[in-house]
Amino acid sequence: MVRQPITWQSLAPYVFVGPAILFVVVFLYAPVLFSVGLSVFDWNFIRPEAPFVGLDNYARIFADPNFRSAGWNTVLYCLALIPAQILVPLGLAALLLRVRAGWVAGLYKAALFVPTILAYSVAGVAWLWLFDPLNGFFNTVLVWAGLPTLRWHTDPDLALWCVAVVTFWKNFGLNMLLFLAALVSVPKDVLEAASIDAAGPWRRFWTIELPLISPTFFFVAVTTTMGVLDDIVGTIDVLTEGGPFGQSSNILYYMYQRGLGFFQFGQASAAAVIIIALVIVVTWAQFRLFERRVHYAR
Amino acid sequence: MPADITRDRTVAVRPVLARFAPVRWGVWLAHLVLAAAAVVAIFPLFWMATTAFTPNEIVLRSPFRFWPEQPSLANFHTAFERHPVASWLWNSILVATLVTLGKLVLAVPAGFAFAQMRFRGRDALFWTIVATMTFPTIIGIVPLYIGISMVGLYDTLAGVIVPSIAYIGFYVFFMRQTFRTLPGDMFEAAWLDGAGPWRQLRDIAVPNALPAIASIGVISFMGAWNIYLWALLVLESPERGTLPIGVKVFSAIDDFEPLWGPMMAVALISTLPVLLLFLAAQRVVMAAFTGQVGR
Repeated sequence: MVRQPITWQSLAPYVFVGPAILFVVVFLYAPVLFSVGLSVFDWNFIRPEAPFVGLDNYARIFADPNFRSAGWNTVLYCLALIPAQILVPLGLAALLLRVRAGWVAGLYKAALFVPTILAYSVAGVAWLWLFDPLNGFFNTVLVWAGLPTLRWHTDPDLALWCVAVVTFWKNFGLNMLLFLAALVSVPKDVLEAASIDAAGPWRRFWTIELPLISPTFFFVAVTTTMGVLDDIVGTIDVLTEGGPFGQSSNILYYMYQRGLGFFQFGQASAAAVIIIALVIVVTWAQFRLFERRVHYAR
Repeated sequence: MPADITRDRTVAVRPVLARFAPVRWGVWLAHLVLAAAAVVAIFPLFWMATTAFTPNEIVLRSPFRFWPEQPSLANFHTAFERHPVASWLWNSILVATLVTLGKLVLAVPAGFAFAQMRFRGRDALFWTIVATMTFPTIIGIVPLYIGISMVGLYDTLAGVIVPSIAYIGFYVFFMRQTFRTLPGDMFEAAWLDGAGPWRQLRDIAVPNALPAIASIGVISFMGAWNIYLWALLVLESPERGTLPIGVKVFSAIDDFEPLWGPMMAVALISTLPVLLLFLAAQRVVMAAFTGQVGR
């Protein structure tokens, strides 16, 4: 075998790809691997030494009622937000497709998409102001209607739902656009053939359009599930900081607070490892679940 | 056969029926639902703008208004007086621009190599980058925070910018898809003419992919403009803050006189650039968000 001489030609691809790999490895993979290592040590900023404690950190966070309620809240967020963030955008996209008048549809689309481009903190404070128990819009309306006022995000029973509403408002636009892009690309001849066979709009949607956009549906389902864990953290921080009494925290926010609020690096890392495991399991399960139902017609 | 007869009749009758009541009614219903949804979607922003232009005393006294009462810029004055809002604005511009440049510098050549070059380990390296799209954004935040502090980047904009560049999974994927649509012959011809990899990238690939590069540039700018949690952690000095973290400062201070007006003014300032960018480049932005190449 003749060894190829090393030339600029043969090295070029690595030079092009190298910096991207470097950044991804240093700033994304390394911290995750470091978390796995850190999770078996008891380390914080205050003490210089970091004794090896085995699985103690895991035992401690599992015994922490805050972790349990954060876990339960994560489930609630998923149950509330995943169906809402898939079905509502799907419905809106289907409606946008029916509205043929170009500029009106464009107007609706732009208005519905605007919340998506905002910062979490801006979205958060805009709603903080609406929710404000003293002067906020919602309570003003309730007073005006002669109803009892609410404490909104400062009420332990309502905080989680306030965060969910803001998160939904901030995120539904992207899924709507994804569904719309997919629906537009459904071949017209197939739909026409169905109309000729007397299938109404409702039936056409369920039997033709939905199956044909199933790859997008799958993609949206996966990204939305990730988002419910991830995107929500910014909203939680602005709106409630996980409170009152941890009632609106989720596991990622718990990790953040343990690590950088209480400087319990070991425990935070244990939480990070649990989250990574969860993400892997959920992603895998979704691929298994959807794999067979997705049509790749294009 | 009777079945065929019914079928034929449907063909004849259906288009006539379709032009009347049921379908028009459906379209009007669609308009109604969409208009209502659009109003709900916009309302928090509208409310923010109305509050921003109403003097804070009036905001606190009579909260129910749909148009600014005695419209003024008093809230903006208060905000700029009490906090270094101008620095926040400048820092936000710096962060968004540099993160975007960094991402483009990394993602464009990488996307090109993955699309048009053959080399050992290509697929493995590609998936190494793309798999990071599934990482929760803040999953490595604790080690990253420790690392940034150890190398002395705590409380610097560089500490915010550099790690934020690493989220390039989508961008590399998008650029690969784009460069794949360019014909390979083009690069072969260039190669025969003596153009090396660098010139192929600079003179052929990039000029032919400018719309795509522009669209991910826009998305990246919007994303970086909105970086919140990481900036909140890394930046400490008030004058080194960015708008997204500055906006929240107003909710913490001064419980006797809540500064809703100035807060909404700063929120509006931090919304306007991305809003204008979005309105100006709507088609490009929407196409890029859905992973299609903008035109």
